Amino acid sequence: MEDYKFLFKVVLVGNAGVGKTCLVRRFTQGLFPPGQGATIGVDFMIKTVDINGEKVKLQIWDTAGQERFRSITQSYYRSAHALILVYDVSSQPTFDCLPDWLREIEEYANTKVLRVLVGNKTDREDREIPTYVGEDFAQRNNMYFMETSAKEADNVEKLFMEIAHALIEQAKVREPVSEYKGGAGPAIHVNSSRNNSASSESCCGRLL
Amino acid sequence: MTTIDISQVSSLEELDALEEALNKEEEECDKKIDELLSNRSEIEFQLRTLSKKLANLKPVEAEAKHFAEVIRNTATLAEDVSAKVRVLDKAKNRVSECQQRVNDLLDLQQCSVGVATAMQNEDFEQAAAHVHRFLTMDENLLKHTAMDVSEGKNMDASFHKLHEAEQKLKQVVIAKFDEAVKDEDLASVERFFKIFPLLNMHEEGLGRFTTYLCSKLRETCQKNLTEAKLTRDKDKRASVIYADSLTLLFEAIARIVEIHQPLIETYYGPGRMLSVMEYIQKECDHQAKMIVDEFRKHRDFIRKIHIVTQYMNQKSETKIDPKELDLVLSELTLLNARTELYSRFVKKRVTNDVDVSITDESEKSEKLSNLDRLLKDGDTFRVMQVVLGQYILLEQYFMAESVQKAVEMDTLIEASSQESFVLSSMTDDVFFIVKKCIKRSLSSQSVDGVCAVINNACGILESDFADLLLSQLRQGFPSGYLDLAQAYSVLQSSFQHGKLQGSDIEKSRAHFVAYLNNTDTSMEYVTSLKSSLESSMNDSFGQHLTPYEKDKITSCLQGLASVNIRLKSVFEFGLSQLKSSAVKPRVKPWLDAFFHARTSYELDEDQFTDDSVPMQTFISDLDSILKSFKGCLSPSAYEAFINLVTTEIALQMEKSVLKNKFNRIGGLQLDKELRILVGYLTNATTWSVRDKFSRLTQMTILLTLEKVSEVADYWGKGPVTWRLTAQEVRQVLSLRSDFRSEDVKRLKL
Ligand SMILES: Nc1nc2c(ncn2[C@@H]2O[C@H](COP(=O)(O)OP(=O)(O)OP(=O)(O)O)[C@@H](O)[C@H]2O)c(=O)[nH]1
Ligand SMILES: [Mg+2]
Repeated sequence: MEDYKFLFKVVLVGNAGVGKTCLVRRFTQGLFPPGQGATIGVDFMIKTVDINGEKVKLQIWDTAGQERFRSITQSYYRSAHALILVYDVSSQPTFDCLPDWLREIEEYANTKVLRVLVGNKTDREDREIPTYVGEDFAQRNNMYFMETSAKEADNVEKLFMEIAHALIEQAKVREPVSEYKGGAGPAIHVNSSRNNSASSESCCGRLL
Repeated sequence: MTTIDISQVSSLEELDALEEALNKEEEECDKKIDELLSNRSEIEFQLRTLSKKLANLKPVEAEAKHFAEVIRNTATLAEDVSAKVRVLDKAKNRVSECQQRVNDLLDLQQCSVGVATAMQNEDFEQAAAHVHRFLTMDENLLKHTAMDVSEGKNMDASFHKLHEAEQKLKQVVIAKFDEAVKDEDLASVERFFKIFPLLNMHEEGLGRFTTYLCSKLRETCQKNLTEAKLTRDKDKRASVIYADSLTLLFEAIARIVEIHQPLIETYYGPGRMLSVMEYIQKECDHQAKMIVDEFRKHRDFIRKIHIVTQYMNQKSETKIDPKELDLVLSELTLLNARTELYSRFVKKRVTNDVDVSITDESEKSEKLSNLDRLLKDGDTFRVMQVVLGQYILLEQYFMAESVQKAVEMDTLIEASSQESFVLSSMTDDVFFIVKKCIKRSLSSQSVDGVCAVINNACGILESDFADLLLSQLRQGFPSGYLDLAQAYSVLQSSFQHGKLQGSDIEKSRAHFVAYLNNTDTSMEYVTSLKSSLESSMNDSFGQHLTPYEKDKITSCLQGLASVNIRLKSVFEFGLSQLKSSAVKPRVKPWLDAFFHARTSYELDEDQFTDDSVPMQTFISDLDSILKSFKGCLSPSAYEAFINLVTTEIALQMEKSVLKNKFNRIGGLQLDKELRILVGYLTNATTWSVRDKFSRLTQMTILLTLEKVSEVADYWGKGPVTWRLTAQEVRQVLSLRSDFRSEDVKRLKL
């Protein structure tokens, strides 16, 4: 019915006010919303893009950064194909929280998820995080890196297009029957004995 | 005509030439004159008619001139008239302004006299009406007029009196209103509430009135909450008493709006609901917070959240029995549902009010965004966002722990009274739990809540549950001497004794089969869970879902489709285990026996037989394995199993055929035997197995040909779609010992 070849889920996370919603609206609607209010829960938007003649549907989940929405937003990590972790280049505290966010990602997301670090608001005069610091952090944590300005439409299109590109590449090399890796919720050990599940984990990839 | 300069002529020749030229010219001239003369009568005739017509034109010109004159005059006249009308209009306006002012002057005096009397009589409505009349006058203009008619002194006095009266009345009304509030004199409260707008004190009036309403609200709520805290555990509503308290708060506000909105609209005009709700919301925030605080205290909520959070973060091994959370989870969803309902109520009321009272689009959208903020950032809603988050956390724990329990208590059971195949109890239990949790989330009326619980459910099913099934299937189906029929009877007897009986191998077989059935049944459950949830969405949310919210939920439900993709791969893994341990090792020797039963397929006519004994032996072996699995596999797993067996047989048989030699009779014999086999398998299953055997069938076509050249009748024409390559056709033909290999080689394919 719908005309697309790939569907990817992209989830944006990061502290409140770093500009996640503005990035998404810039990309999906081509505007910088004045007086953008804090996101409540999760917002969801769809944009279909064309990558080398192939239609790619991006399902974008824009999560709320405020602490009280954490249990809602955490439920979206597992099925994400790409996670965009955003900080504000003019705010040291938003950068300092990155390790906490990474811990969440490790805990809830699929291990194969594409992880992208984004420093937003490069248009601001009062930058506190130099580019190389962000770059370095990304490299140490195995993430793609990009700096953007939702306000000036700088690198925003590029960010999402490159993600779409990378996801297609990833989808193409993946084995036809995909194995399930990681994303195990923290509380549940379905096997009667916990050790048992640990050992089965290791050979899971080989057998399926 | 050329001019001739004789002095330029210097020779006789030139003179001759000139003369000739002149002669020629003269001739032409004559010709022209003749022509003109011949036209003369024609031209004269035309001239005559022309001069006759000219005479007629004269009067037309005169008439046109006359018309122009008339039009000019009319225009001037019209302009004169309209100028006069304008003047008249101005005059009329002045007269009515004048009248207005005279009226104002007359009223002014009346008002100033009247206000004093009214005040004396405590007839505040009358006094306010006078002041209201006076407030509609243009004071400066009146003063001007008064000067002209030398009424200045009189009027100044009136103004003075009225200003005084206005100030006094304002004070009195405020005082009286406050007094009425203090005395709880509702009639007087409403009486003075109606007077405020007459004195242009709209905000003041609304502010005081809503403060009054809020104080009533506060009283009611305190009373309700005190009663709630005293509720006995045995009371029917005990488990949802705080949700009830919150409901009462919201209902009280709704009642206030129902009763007072018409009053406000009548006396203050439409467009006031946003500010009214902003006032009331402050009290609502306060009360809602208190209710939630009491809820947390009395439900031992903080401790529960703490334990669950610690456990989920793997910081502690202490758990809570999920049963202990059941009631509190229901109450949490109720708290949230009430708030959603209330929020929708406020939104609808205020939006309608804004719609009818404001026409300016930008003002409208500003008001609406203020409303939006009120319903998102208000404390009531913030508190509920926290409550919802905690609900999701506890629900996740409840779901995971209950699933864990179901797995720990897993036993083998018969699928149903109609179906005798075996699966284990956890399948039903896990899906019962998952469905229960998602349905409970629906009663929260929160789209984000529902989505989060669906996501978490998909997580448990797709990873933990599927991993469990996989790990069980990975232990494999033990092959060995014993037959499955025995494993099946082990399963059967285990129901009588409550425990799996029999040898270890039998036990493991029973276990494997049950888990294969679990996986297959789970896929069915996922599909029906998805469709049942899709219809529940409409039942729970009704008309309230926007298309955007519908899409959001649908996208999350799509997660269940991914669960099935994963389960399918687990199921296929299980089948492959069966294939390598139960199917392959049997099919191979059976076929070997079948082909060894006759030493050769090069037969004489009298050796041909309709009922082949080797094939009957093969089928009876096959029948026993199929029967034993039919009893213990779920119907669709059994279908998949037959499919697998059939594919394997076809593959092995093909290989064996290629190792034999045939003559035509032998080919006919094999053809006969294949038909018996396909007939048997067709009866054993619901779908067509013929497709699986189409290559073999085509081989038998070749093996039964009379002559090599007959291939041409089939190849490339006729109804047969060849599954064999040209190379394979040659290979099969070469199995025929009665065909010459040169003929086969020479075939054009
Ligand atoms: N100068 C500048 N300001 C930006 C940029 N992007 C966002 N902002 C501003 O940052 C503020 C927060 O932006 P949002 O997009 O709402 O932030 P968010 O990350 O979605 O916040 P939450 O929804 O609360 O998690 C707004 O006031 C934006 O105007 C940018 O690129 N440059
Ligand atoms: Mg946002």
